Amino acid sequence: MQSGSTLEKLPIGDDQNRAALDRARKTLGTIILGKDDQIALALSCLLARGHLLIEDLPGLGKTMLAQSLARVLGLSYRRIQFTSDLLPADIVGVSVFRQEKGEFEFQPGPIFSQLILADEVNRATPKAQSALLESMEEYQVSVDGNTRTLPEPFFVVATQNPADQIGTFPLPESQLDRFLMRLELGYPNEDNERELIIGEDRRSMLEGIDAVASPEALLALQKAAAALHMSDPLVDYIQALVRQTRESPDIDIGLSPRGALALAAAAKAHAFVEHHSGVYPDDIQAVFAAVAGHRLKPAGNTTYRSAAELCQHVLDSVAIP
Amino acid sequence: MTKGRGTDGSLLASLPWTLLALAISLGPHVPYLPWWITAAFIVCGVWRFSIEKRRRPVPSTWFRALLAMSCFLGVLATYSTISGVGPGSALLAIMAALKLIETRQRRDQFVLLFISIFLVMSSLLREQYLWSLPYLVLSVFMIMTAWLRISSPGAERPRRSFGTSGRLVMYAAPLAIAMWIFFPRIATPFWSVPMDTGTAQSGVSDTMSPGDISSLSMSDAVAFRVTFKGVIPEPRDRYWRGLVLTNFNGRTWTSSDPYAVRALEQVVYNGRPVEYTVTLEPTRQIWVFALDMPESWNLSRTFMGPQQQLARSIPIDQRMAYDAVSFLDYRTDVELSDDARDFFTTVPDTSNPRTRELARQMRAEHGSDAAFVEAVMRMFHEEEFYYTLQPPALGSDSVDRFLFDTRQGFCEHYASAFAVLMRAAGIPSRVVLGYQGGEVNPMGGHMIVRQSDAHAWNEIWLPDLGWRRIDPTSAVAPERIEAGRSGSMFDGVAEAWGFSSPSMWVYEMQMYMDALNAKWNEWILGYGPENQDRFMDWLGIDDPDWQKKVLLLIGWTMGLLFVVSFAMALRNGAPRRDRAARLYRQFVKRSGQVPAVGETPAAFALRLQSEDRLPAATVNEITRSYLEARYGVPDPTWLERLEKAVGAMPRFASAARAQRTA
Repeated sequence: MQSGSTLEKLPIGDDQNRAALDRARKTLGTIILGKDDQIALALSCLLARGHLLIEDLPGLGKTMLAQSLARVLGLSYRRIQFTSDLLPADIVGVSVFRQEKGEFEFQPGPIFSQLILADEVNRATPKAQSALLESMEEYQVSVDGNTRTLPEPFFVVATQNPADQIGTFPLPESQLDRFLMRLELGYPNEDNERELIIGEDRRSMLEGIDAVASPEALLALQKAAAALHMSDPLVDYIQALVRQTRESPDIDIGLSPRGALALAAAAKAHAFVEHHSGVYPDDIQAVFAAVAGHRLKPAGNTTYRSAAELCQHVLDSVAIP
Repeated sequence: MTKGRGTDGSLLASLPWTLLALAISLGPHVPYLPWWITAAFIVCGVWRFSIEKRRRPVPSTWFRALLAMSCFLGVLATYSTISGVGPGSALLAIMAALKLIETRQRRDQFVLLFISIFLVMSSLLREQYLWSLPYLVLSVFMIMTAWLRISSPGAERPRRSFGTSGRLVMYAAPLAIAMWIFFPRIATPFWSVPMDTGTAQSGVSDTMSPGDISSLSMSDAVAFRVTFKGVIPEPRDRYWRGLVLTNFNGRTWTSSDPYAVRALEQVVYNGRPVEYTVTLEPTRQIWVFALDMPESWNLSRTFMGPQQQLARSIPIDQRMAYDAVSFLDYRTDVELSDDARDFFTTVPDTSNPRTRELARQMRAEHGSDAAFVEAVMRMFHEEEFYYTLQPPALGSDSVDRFLFDTRQGFCEHYASAFAVLMRAAGIPSRVVLGYQGGEVNPMGGHMIVRQSDAHAWNEIWLPDLGWRRIDPTSAVAPERIEAGRSGSMFDGVAEAWGFSSPSMWVYEMQMYMDALNAKWNEWILGYGPENQDRFMDWLGIDDPDWQKKVLLLIGWTMGLLFVVSFAMALRNGAPRRDRAARLYRQFVKRSGQVPAVGETPAAFALRLQSEDRLPAATVNEITRSYLEARYGVPDPTWLERLEKAVGAMPRFASAARAQRTA
């Protein structure tokens, strides 16, 4: 098909769309400083048609990441602030009786956008949460007995404060599973923080940037990413990792087959973002914590304090075929 | 599994496929099998399925043995032999049905599929029609699908199985075609298929007993096809001479020994020759048909008998083609010895007294033999004689009964009565059996003669003229002779059965199918040594002996395999991938470091670079090539680069070490 005789030649995908993707990554890097890995992961998540959960303390730029993703990729964007009194109708919309027409008219909710930022999703009641999570799974919503298809592409970027904060309803495992990746942003390093302080206001900076890609380009990129070559040893590697999560004494519940599929899809997308001609072991390792972290249930007596550590432990105990 | 325990229902998913494959392979046999075998087959299928469905045990060994024995005896009783195509395929079918009820595991189903393939093959021993090939392909396709279904119960979608089996059949096709084209054909095969003598079918039999048959079945089957080189004779001249019946015992006409004398020299041919090629369907008889009167023919082991009948020394049990030349104008046996005269005027004194009396009377009334013959013909024409295919049975003194009582009959009745009348009046006469007519297929340009064209006519001997053909049926039903088949076929018969004449397009379809069939016979079934040599010649291969053919076959097969493997190599890519892994292990060994568990090549490369033991360029090149060769899109250049880089490594390594030690 193509001969990747040099590293510089981009082996896969439509050149124009590829270039747009690279530009998007670069632009995101100028807004969210020093988080190149997380940006690559977030883009991979979108390319793999997955939803993204960003979990971290307030004020670390979760919202900013979601907003800039929508902006850069040219997606229509709505933000839903989840609160404890949020109702499902506030998300999917409601039918309103129009007196002048004498009929009900559907008022679409904020869910009818290409990129939804579900802010602080664990602050809402499970009822409101499930309204969102169901639409994520089905790519459609049912209101008053009518099924309405959501726009395409459709992404949910949900943010969540760590569960030990007061007044939250943590998402159960089954619903966490709907997110392809969970990211932690973490604090910026000192240089970056300094630049944040003295530099331009990020919000106004965001106003100034143009979309570098389009929804159509994104759909094409998704297709190209899904078609990326995955060699047999890599499949073996994924299987070995999944087996390790199931057999490790530190983990109560390992990865499901859906988790394995998610791992493969995310790794492909990551390889695509990284310009690899096929999926490399590095791609799997890069996405592993983000994909597996929220799907694993650590054993009670485990010595690993965080999901990230646990995932690293799994990676460190499986040989690369 | 022990006896008596119920089945576990594990075959429930695959059993219908096995049954389907079996049913399809049984299909072509059904018209020939005794009905009870088909019934037993269906019963066994339903029975086995319900056993599986209800988780019941399969019948005990004793019961099955008893069943097998009784079925074997049943076949023996039906055919009174177990050899031959008929009994053989019957046995095969019934044993397949019985095997079904002892199927317990997946493995047993494979045996059943083997039997299916065997059943399909054996149907070709019986008939090889145009539709046999597509049916064969379909059967193999279905059997392969069943095979795939059984191999992967439940896991695979049927559509996928169909796809795979279609692909398999397609892969096999070029090889099959090559085999068919190049496999050396032998003029006389080592083996021959045992024919069922009991099922011989022909419109012409060796003897003739008018009155024993009360209704003649009209078979549309093709008797032979003829391609004329020049002008096609008129319908009234289309008498296809077969055998000659000379002996009459009062009821049945039989022939005398056809091999007795060579009689060709007794014939004087006049006029213009008619050249044509006959493709004769197998009759399992010795008679060879040719236009009256044949002068030469190129069929092996075929001679002209004393009554100018063509006979072969071995029965015609496969389709045969021969060229022949005939003359419509001829004379035979202008001189007839007294012995011969006596022989051809013999009528038993004990039977048919009324006919003999009538002959004597009429001969006395008319002055000459010729006038007498004319009077008899007029009698048939003018008196109340009817041509019908469903005449009443006649019993003894059949000619008397026919001439004076029933007066209904077809060609055999008239020919028989006419010959008896002639003989009783002292005129030598005999009966000729063969075919009369034939229709020209407008699509293929050839003539089809069907079993329904079978005919009987007479020859009488007159002084100075020799044997003359005379057809009493023409006096009764002239349209039978003039128009050929359709006239006689639908006169009375069609109305009696409540048919109207088939519409034109049905006729055209039939003609088209027959033209196609003729080509099929000529090129596919008739692809014998001559056709093969001709085809080889056309391919530009001189003097193709069997060694050349075998070499060609091997060459073709090898070429095919090469193409297939090349295509597969292109698709699956890659020299073996683990070569990259081996080279990388070499590199790791020489690097003096061990990657940690879970350390990716890229991470390992970074570590090596930080330790600065190997040139960064080398490490990068090897890591890059390895990643691409092992994990990237298959591309042999990366492997080459990896090999080159690893091969060049020791020099770098030793150089680095040398530097350090210095």
